[in-house]
Amino acid sequence: MKFQDQIRFVRQNMKKNKTRLFMTVLATAMGCTFLIVLASVGFGLQQSMVDNIVGDRLVTAVDLYGKNPDQHKDTNIYDEDIQMFRELADVKAVTYRNNIYQWLNPKVEGEEVGSDKTTQVDFEAETKAGFDLSAGRMPEADNEIVIGYHIREQMDEQGMPTGYEDASEWLNKTMTLEVTYYAAGKKLTEPMEAVIVGVTEIPTKEWNRDKTIYMGVGMLEKIEGITGTRNGELPYFEVENPTAEKIDAALANLPKPSEQRSYQDVQVVASHAEKVKGLVETLRDKGFYTHSIVDELKQVNLMFAIMKIGLIFVGTIAVLIASIGIFNTMTMAVTERAQDIGIMKAIGAHPSVIRKLFLLESAMIGLMGAIFGTVVAYGVSLAVNAGLPVVIKQFMEEEVPADFLFSVIPPYLTALACGISLGVAMLSGYRPALRATRIDVLSALRRDV
Amino acid sequence: MIELAGVSHQFRIGKRGKERVVPVLHDINLKVEKGEIVAVVGRSGSGKSTLLNLMSGYIRPSSGEIRVGGQNVTKLDEGEWANFRLANYGFIFQSFQLIGSMTAYENVELPLVLKGIGSGERRAKVMKLLEQVGIAEFANHYPSELSGGQQQRVSVARSLILEPPIVLADEPSGSLDSENEKTLLTMIRQLNHELGITFVIITHDEQVASIAHRAIRLQDGRIGGLA
Ligand SMILES: Nc1ncnc2c1ncn2[C@@H]1O[C@H](COP(=O)(O)OP(=O)(O)O)[C@@H](O)[C@H]1O
Ligand SMILES: [Mg+2]
Repeated sequence: MKFQDQIRFVRQNMKKNKTRLFMTVLATAMGCTFLIVLASVGFGLQQSMVDNIVGDRLVTAVDLYGKNPDQHKDTNIYDEDIQMFRELADVKAVTYRNNIYQWLNPKVEGEEVGSDKTTQVDFEAETKAGFDLSAGRMPEADNEIVIGYHIREQMDEQGMPTGYEDASEWLNKTMTLEVTYYAAGKKLTEPMEAVIVGVTEIPTKEWNRDKTIYMGVGMLEKIEGITGTRNGELPYFEVENPTAEKIDAALANLPKPSEQRSYQDVQVVASHAEKVKGLVETLRDKGFYTHSIVDELKQVNLMFAIMKIGLIFVGTIAVLIASIGIFNTMTMAVTERAQDIGIMKAIGAHPSVIRKLFLLESAMIGLMGAIFGTVVAYGVSLAVNAGLPVVIKQFMEEEVPADFLFSVIPPYLTALACGISLGVAMLSGYRPALRATRIDVLSALRRDV
Repeated sequence: MIELAGVSHQFRIGKRGKERVVPVLHDINLKVEKGEIVAVVGRSGSGKSTLLNLMSGYIRPSSGEIRVGGQNVTKLDEGEWANFRLANYGFIFQSFQLIGSMTAYENVELPLVLKGIGSGERRAKVMKLLEQVGIAEFANHYPSELSGGQQQRVSVARSLILEPPIVLADEPSGSLDSENEKTLLTMIRQLNHELGITFVIITHDEQVASIAHRAIRLQDGRIGGLA
């Protein structure tokens, strides 16, 4: 018997008792909805807590400390490595710090800036990676910079903070910089100006102090253009006033801007939290020393995994309850159609065909239930995510974070729930189907079944 | 074509432990040749239906051997019997045994569907046969909307749709009036003549027996005499 004929046959049979069919599908759909919605809370809480509260970047970022000396001669991370990272699958962005090798004597409105370093970053990559600002915006023009949150913090002799002044007061102000360079045997300075457009977020680790000046590649090139050395590096002299020859010799020894650069604080940011593990493995295979917070999140994720399994288990019970309805419906269907089954067997229908027809029927009920159940589950999920924050605000006067989701339905949860519904439906249709194959031809033809 | 050798059958009735054995057929030996119309006659309760049910594979003999078309079918299991029936037999029943939720067309089509034949080919075959048995205009009627004679034509069409070599019929005219009976018998003769189909027909009707090449008389589960 052809599959399309089986489907046609089953559909014809299902139409014989529409009310009963509807009620059975309804019960299955309710079970399926319950399963999905229940489990989606586990997924939602996990995503919201791990991804949002811990911080998206922290979860997805993989820190690279260099290369494994067993696999590489030179353990620095170079341009070609950065390029290679960018081409890896599941990489959202690659960020780095590229420090300026001289003191630029930064001042704002004549006041000296207590920065501890000036570094060049790839602002475009940082934006993608989720570079957080506490105020202002990311630079767009070459002369725009971002300053560290703690850049105006005062310190005592022991290095303990004594007072904090708001760095955001400096927004849109001009920072003057001085680039030192040697030319024609003389030490000279060239002034530069930069506009402060952003202040970084307070570092997540409370003991960290961010006193960095962040500039784009445009400013770096300008500095290098002035000094003629890579990262604005200056030669070091033992004596106070070196001769012109000594200066030229020392300059010649310094690397040029065109030479290969190595980068610090390289981070490879994965496109999604789930991809981090694979990414870390890939990078380790390629011989890089890495660290990612995922290594530490294992415990939390394990806990959520157990919770999700528990919720799916409870949800499956609902589907099982619905399966009693399917069992009942199918048993009644077999009884009602005993005569037809007998006739079919009498003229040569193989018992396996009969069994297939009834299994297909219960599978169709399961499938219809799963489809309707899924649609409703998505609706409920949307309603919960939209409604619950409002309710919480009303009754508990507590604000829920903007992108906090109570219920998240990943596609594989849908697939799992549909699979469970279908499986349970077929399981509960199995005994009635078996009973159908055992119907005795002669009793059926005599109409006494 | 059909050969029974030393076939006996007894029914077991009653509960397990307190079973009672009802012997129905005793040492039946018979042979139906290809292209024959054989009538099985005998009083009610003599075991005619039981004999046909054994040939159909609906029940198994208590002892003896059954061969159909040279194949020993005594030990076929249920599934094998189903396939065997589909491939070799057409059935006509006294009470027609049409599926009530299917139209005349769908009832006739059913064996083709079971055999896995595509719907295009089915349509042509079914319509042609419905035409031949003279109920093409009732193709979309349900059995409950047809007279007894029309239903029996549907059932004849269903038995012939796969062009089986053998047709088994248990009192095919038992529910028909004499006019419809006549038409049915003419049809059977014609099919036998034109297509060489072998018929085994159970009847207690003299008229039916008259179209047969041969009649087998059953008496208390034994083959009595030849008519
Ligand atoms: N399923 C059965 N169980 C017990 N006895 C049966 C069964 N079927 C038929 N019989 C008995 O077998 C005998 C022959 O029945 P049957 O073959 O139907 O006779 P016929 O068709 O010649 O009227 C009858 O006595 C009947 O009571
Ligand atoms: Mg009988």
